[in-house]
Amino acid sequence: MDLQKYQKIFSQESDKYLKELDRLLIRVEKDLSDLELWADIHGKIHSIKGMARALSMDKITVLGHAMENWCKQFQEGTMDATSDNVQLIFQGGDLLRLLVARMDDISSADDQRWYDTLISQLRKGPEATSGEADQKRPLSRNAGSYVERMDYVRVKYSLIEELLGLSQEIMLSEKSLPPLSLEQISYGLKNWIDDYTSLLKGLHFRLAQLRLVSVADFADIFVKTIRNLGRENNKAIKFEVIGGELEADITLLERLREPFIHIFRNSIAHGIESSEERVNLGKDPEGKIVLDATRRGDSLIVKLSDDGRGIDSEAIKRYLRDKKYMRDDQIAQMSQEELFDTILSPDFSSSSTTSDMAGRGIGMNVVAQAIEYLGGTMTINSEQKKGTEFKIKLPVSLSVIYAITFRIGDYTLSIPTSNVVSIDQMESFSNDSDSYYNLKGLLGIQDSKGKLSHVLKVRYLGTKNGSDDGTRKEIDVIVGDIVGNKPVMVMPVGELLGKANIFSGVGIMENGEISILLDFENLPEMPMH
Amino acid sequence: MELFIFNSAEEYLGIDANYVYRVVEEIKITPVPMAPPYYLGLIYYRGELFEVVDIVGLLGSGKAKLKGNPRIILLKWSDKKLAVIPDRISGLLWIEDKKGQDTIFTEGNHSVRLITPENIWKRLLELPYGPTKISEDF
Repeated sequence: MDLQKYQKIFSQESDKYLKELDRLLIRVEKDLSDLELWADIHGKIHSIKGMARALSMDKITVLGHAMENWCKQFQEGTMDATSDNVQLIFQGGDLLRLLVARMDDISSADDQRWYDTLISQLRKGPEATSGEADQKRPLSRNAGSYVERMDYVRVKYSLIEELLGLSQEIMLSEKSLPPLSLEQISYGLKNWIDDYTSLLKGLHFRLAQLRLVSVADFADIFVKTIRNLGRENNKAIKFEVIGGELEADITLLERLREPFIHIFRNSIAHGIESSEERVNLGKDPEGKIVLDATRRGDSLIVKLSDDGRGIDSEAIKRYLRDKKYMRDDQIAQMSQEELFDTILSPDFSSSSTTSDMAGRGIGMNVVAQAIEYLGGTMTINSEQKKGTEFKIKLPVSLSVIYAITFRIGDYTLSIPTSNVVSIDQMESFSNDSDSYYNLKGLLGIQDSKGKLSHVLKVRYLGTKNGSDDGTRKEIDVIVGDIVGNKPVMVMPVGELLGKANIFSGVGIMENGEISILLDFENLPEMPMH
Repeated sequence: MELFIFNSAEEYLGIDANYVYRVVEEIKITPVPMAPPYYLGLIYYRGELFEVVDIVGLLGSGKAKLKGNPRIILLKWSDKKLAVIPDRISGLLWIEDKKGQDTIFTEGNHSVRLITPENIWKRLLELPYGPTKISEDF
């Protein structure tokens, strides 16, 4: 038996189950009596335990068995779960993760103490352990410092099949190289090279897709961290992701992991108020953190925002007076952006007391440097009692998006699917004002060039002086045939076409055809028709 | 210097052969809206985008005659790429003297005008891109 091979499978499968376990526990925490969820949780732990037993991993087997006993009682309804019970099972999940990573080996005294304590608590039973779950684990790590690395990405099996199929076709193509007689060389060889090139184009397109990961998958790694940070600070936090379907290069996203953790940590420690304080302010008791990803041209824009108390401007001004010896009139002349950028200074701290969780705010300087290293920029916006937003703009070398591709006159154009609200046939188009964006007129297309047959309702962000003005606009655009909702590999528009200032990229479709991506935010305002 | 010689709109043009990446044919040129008249469109070849130009029109010598599925000369230099469409490719010619841009020298019965891709690029940059006149005809 190839032990290494089975250990690798065990590790990969267990990681998958443990991720799912975390999600299930976060859900059951909001509804402790959901028997179906407890059944699912039981199933995940049981699967890990079963694999571990087959590999004679005793520690994992014992721990899994103890956790299973609890889940069985909750699943059968013989015992009511409490939030403390769930917290203990969370800890069990963390310990399982550690043991899986180390193949059932415990090397440090601290870890052994943790293991022993947890087993002892689990064996006492759920009713005996309520109130004990908040005791600190005997580990030096605290909440928020351990975040999984993205060692794996989920790859669609159909994509792998396509790759394998293409590779096979390439090999068969080589075997079908025509005999090299004098008459046949140029024609036969030319055809062979054309087929070969076409296959390589397809392979290149799909291989490029392998490096991409969705923002939603990336954001997943923060779900548990935010939950733990909120719990440790007695704050209820909801985490929302917008634009999760966007895909970007995994190496770029991976480098954002630590900076983002720090921003979340600061947000929960300093920004979001306690539930009681929020209710007194007329806010939802549950604070909200949002990760909003969009693509603009060849940039990825990620906004991290919270609906907390906002940055304390007075504290910043105190710092500028006391530490930077600035006068009040000098401070008054600073723009809002310059004022908030002060928090990126290495020695800035607006907190009169430091907490283990957020430290002294030193990390914001490191966050800014990390983003600068990636060739990006960060701007900070904040409003007292409303919240804070960090807007990070990063260049993306490669991305694949879904775009509605259509024809108009001689041109093939695309609009990102996320910007298209609806597509209607011209016959069914009813717009009371009969006003729509005159794209045909803008492009100078003659009447004779192709029939206009569809109407796209397009939504985009309003801009003022090149920046978002916070509004969303919608317009109707009449176009010709719809090619489809296609994945396109977006390439930069280049220096020449960039001068037009209305294209967000050049899209390469799977069949190698080109479409031009329109940037509606920069299209000129026109009299509507 | 080895020159790559081609003919376009009855004029012989020569370019340093080091800049010539490939000569391809039967590749679809995708037109781009709101580009100047001499900017013919884009092609995608082996993972790279090339911008196709009517070089003769750009140099003010006339207008290229585009036949269906013309042969296309792909040029690459530093990080830039261009594609030009000849009427006819003559071949390679070795010349002793290094002559400058726009130099015209005589080879046999023909005058050959030297061009450089960088100079083509500079002329392209000077042209207007984007919306100019919005047509009300609809």
